[in-house]
Amino acid sequence: MAEKFHTELKTTKKETVAMALFGRGMLRDAVDALIRQDKELAASVIARKDALHEMEVKLEEHCYQLIATGQPMAKDMRVIACTLKVINASMRIGRYGKVIANIVKDISDRPHIARLMSIPHMAELTMDMIDDAIKAYDTDSVALIADFSARDDTIDALRHSIFREGITYMMEDPKTITRCTYYILVARYLERCADHACKIAENVHYMQTGERIEIH
Amino acid sequence: MSDNSIVSTNNLNLWYNEKHALQSITMKIPKNKVTALIGPSGCGKSTLLRCFNRLNDLIDHVKITGEITLDNENIHAQGTDVVSLRKKVGMVFQKPNPFPKSIYENIAYGPKVHGVKDKSELDRDVEQSLRHAAIWDEVKDRLNDSALGLSGGQQQRLCIARTLAVGPEVILMDEPCSALDPIATAKIENLIEMLKQEYTVIIVTHNMQQAARVSDYTGFMYLGKLIECGKTVDIFEHPREELTENYITGRFG
Repeated sequence: MAEKFHTELKTTKKETVAMALFGRGMLRDAVDALIRQDKELAASVIARKDALHEMEVKLEEHCYQLIATGQPMAKDMRVIACTLKVINASMRIGRYGKVIANIVKDISDRPHIARLMSIPHMAELTMDMIDDAIKAYDTDSVALIADFSARDDTIDALRHSIFREGITYMMEDPKTITRCTYYILVARYLERCADHACKIAENVHYMQTGERIEIH
Repeated sequence: MSDNSIVSTNNLNLWYNEKHALQSITMKIPKNKVTALIGPSGCGKSTLLRCFNRLNDLIDHVKITGEITLDNENIHAQGTDVVSLRKKVGMVFQKPNPFPKSIYENIAYGPKVHGVKDKSELDRDVEQSLRHAAIWDEVKDRLNDSALGLSGGQQQRLCIARTLAVGPEVILMDEPCSALDPIATAKIENLIEMLKQEYTVIIVTHNMQQAARVSDYTGFMYLGKLIECGKTVDIFEHPREELTENYITGRFG
C-alpha cells in the first residue's frame, strides 16, 4: 500500500510540475505577445485557460484522494499540502497570463507609447523566480529559493518605478492614459505572479524542512 | 518531554533471557495527557508498557535495570506493594477480557478485593465507573446480565470501567481498539479524550492515525530503543529523526 501511495504521490507531483510549467508558459507568451503586439499569440494564451482549469481540478482531486486513502503523515503530508499550494499558485499565474493576453487584444492596434524597457525586464525577473520556484518544488531544493526575499524586493521596486513612469506619461499626454493604465496593470500582475512564486517558495521550504517561513 | 510528569524512566533496560528488548529508555510521561507508543511489531512498546505496572514480573527470565518512577517513587524499590502499584496503574488489553460474571460483578470485583464491603458504596462505585467509561446508559438496565453478552466494543469499555473502579492514576492501554470495528473504536477514542481529564493514559497502538488522533505526546520505538519522543503534532508533522519519518510515512522495508 505504502509503495502504491508513494508512486501515486510522485506522479501527482510530476503532473503538478507540468501544470506549473503550463501556467508559466501562459504568462511567458502573454508578456511576449504584449511586447510584440502579437494578437495571435495572445489568442492562443486565452484559449489555454480551460486546459489550465481542467488540470487544476484533476490535480486537486488527486491530492484529496491521496489524503483520503493514504492518510499521509510527516513529509508525505507536507508534500501534498505544498502541492495544493503549487496548483493554486500555478492557476493564478496562468490566469494572470490570460488577463495580460486580454490587454494585448485591447492595445495592439496602436504602437506602444515608447519602446518597452521596464516591463520586459520585470517580466524576465518574474519568470526567473517562477522557474526557480517550480524547480525547487520539483527537485526538493531550498537552495534555489534562498534569495527570494531580495528578488521580490526588486520586483516591488520595478512595479513602483513603472507606476511612476506611467503617471509621468499620462500627465504629459492624456491620450496615453488608456495604454499607460494597462502598463501599470501589467506591472501589478507581474508583481502578483512574483508573489505567487514566493508562496510556492515558502511552501517548498515547509515541505522540505517542516518549518514555516515568510518571504516579504 | 514535560516537567509535569507522573511516570518516568531513567536508563531502563530489559532482557528476555539474552534478548535485549528495551535499551536505555529514558522518558517522562506527562500527567493528565495521553501518550502513545508507536513502532513496528517487536520494537518493545508493549514490553515498555508492561514495565509501568510491573507486569513483566510475571514472566520468567526477565531482567530489568534502570529506574521507573511513579509519583517520584521507584516502583522497583524494596517494599513496593505490587498490588497497590497495579491499583494505581491499571491496564486494558488488546482483546476485551471481562470476567464470566455479571456486568455489576465485573466492576465491583476490584473494589471488593481492595476491601469495600458496603453495598451502597459498591453500587456507587459501579455506577460511577460505568459512567466514566461511557457505557452506563447502555447497561444500566441489565447490570445483572452476563458481561459476555455485550458486544466487543461494550466489553472493552466495561474493561475500562473495571480499571477505573479501583481509582487508578495511570491507565495503560495495549492496542485497545485492534479487535474492534470503527464505530466501537471511535467510542473508545472519545472515551480516551474524556479520561485524560482525570487520568494519565499511555496507549500502545499499531494504528498511527489513531495515535495521531488521540494522543498529546508520542514516542516512536524501534528495535528496543526510544528513537524519538515529543508532542504528537511535531512527530506527525515534522519528526526530527529520519527513522521516525520513514516509519510514519510507511517507508520501512
